[in-house]
Amino acid sequence: MKGLLLKDFLMIKGNVRSVLLFLVVFCLIALEGNDFLLFVPALISFMMFMTTFSYDEYNKWDPYAITLAVKRKEIVFAKYLGSFILLFFSLIITFLVALGIGIYNQNFDLQKTFTLLLGCGASILFLQDIVYPLFIKFGVEKGRIGLFVGIFLLSFLLGWILKNVSISIPQDIYSFVVSYLPWILAVFLLILTIGSYEISKKIYTKKEF
Amino acid sequence: MKKILEVKKLKKSYGDFVLGPVDGSFPGGVIVGLIGENGAGKTTFIKSLLKILQAEGEIQFFSNKKEDIGVVLDNSFFPEILTAEDIHKIMKNIYKNWDSSLFFSYLEKFSLPKNKAIKNLSKGMRKKLEIVTALSHHPKFLILDEPTSGLDPVVRKEVLDLFLDFIQDEDHTILLSTHITSDLEHIADYILFLDKGKVVLEETRDVIMDTYGILKCGKDEFSKISKEDVWRYSESRYGYEILVKDRDKIKKKYPNMIVDKITLEDLMVFVVKGRIL
Repeated sequence: MKGLLLKDFLMIKGNVRSVLLFLVVFCLIALEGNDFLLFVPALISFMMFMTTFSYDEYNKWDPYAITLAVKRKEIVFAKYLGSFILLFFSLIITFLVALGIGIYNQNFDLQKTFTLLLGCGASILFLQDIVYPLFIKFGVEKGRIGLFVGIFLLSFLLGWILKNVSISIPQDIYSFVVSYLPWILAVFLLILTIGSYEISKKIYTKKEF
Repeated sequence: MKKILEVKKLKKSYGDFVLGPVDGSFPGGVIVGLIGENGAGKTTFIKSLLKILQAEGEIQFFSNKKEDIGVVLDNSFFPEILTAEDIHKIMKNIYKNWDSSLFFSYLEKFSLPKNKAIKNLSKGMRKKLEIVTALSHHPKFLILDEPTSGLDPVVRKEVLDLFLDFIQDEDHTILLSTHITSDLEHIADYILFLDKGKVVLEETRDVIMDTYGILKCGKDEFSKISKEDVWRYSESRYGYEILVKDRDKIKKKYPNMIVDKITLEDLMVFVVKGRIL
């Protein structure tokens, strides 16, 4: 397991220099106080880890990996754990940048920063949970296309629902959701991540290379 | 001799292509050469053994530990942005028996750079790196798909010597598929010959090299040869060539005809392209 994690991190090590340069530029722009930019490190972590799937596929790593002293489920678990670790570090970077900018602009707001981190982390985790089973089942290219088609259809469906269906949420339910949002989100993501991992594991266990 | 692998009714289908059913067992301390033309099922057989493909039938290794198996696959290895040093760091966290000093001594022996990305290595160097990686966790069973392809004759000799060293331990076995059949003439103990997914021959190298032969004759002489003596034959403008299984017996039976020794390449060509009388 440790070896598999190390492999992915050694692969993305080559990108570190350009990512650091990008982060410096990003910090300078973020000084202006645009909160949206704080989403960037988490997004970069996602994209960086996605390249490990591409490298694996391009070099036909998986058939070889299966022959090593690891189980198939460990190969899948290492992907989830590796991306989780990278996401965690990207959120620490985001926090430090937000802290630095807050101190510089003398307007640091801890609660707002944590809400932002939760939003970044949750969105990327959600994206990973959806995309990883697709990558494992269909490969990176087809998985990406599947993701875009999925996002398009989902947006279209949501747009149609919002336009044509009038939904009235009772006030007490609305208040409950808002006050427990972080917990609801955490439980939802936990279930989604476990579900995503189980699906990926099932696909990978049966997959032939 | 201790069995190291046993397969029973191994079968794998891919659309029109069917491998098997293959039955057989591999003893310890030997090199088994897997031969056959392209598409005969060699890689499918190896991938089925390694559970990269999900095949029907029974595959029983001497040990359930993946630690004991070293593998070289055709066109499948570490991502090519990694270096030999990276591979060492990864493998020492994958194999309990990973031998760092052995790995680095192999790198030195084969003049492989530690810090050069795999993508910048020549095809031969890359193959050598794959082989030394497979050997550096002290496996007992090496499964190698085309391990010598892309290597020049000098390096091929070095690699084959490495395999011969490995096999000195009678618990060690090598299953090796190759197109370069002359390599097997030097090192293999057994030959497993696949054609169109079926095992057409399973024999010791000594029997093949010492008893099989090619009888050469003209049209008139060909008509005098008994059908049971002809395994396969080919016809050309210069006459007939006949693959025979007992060279000495045939020499005595047809004293006026020439019976030559056979190479594994001849055998492959005859079995695949030769005609049956």
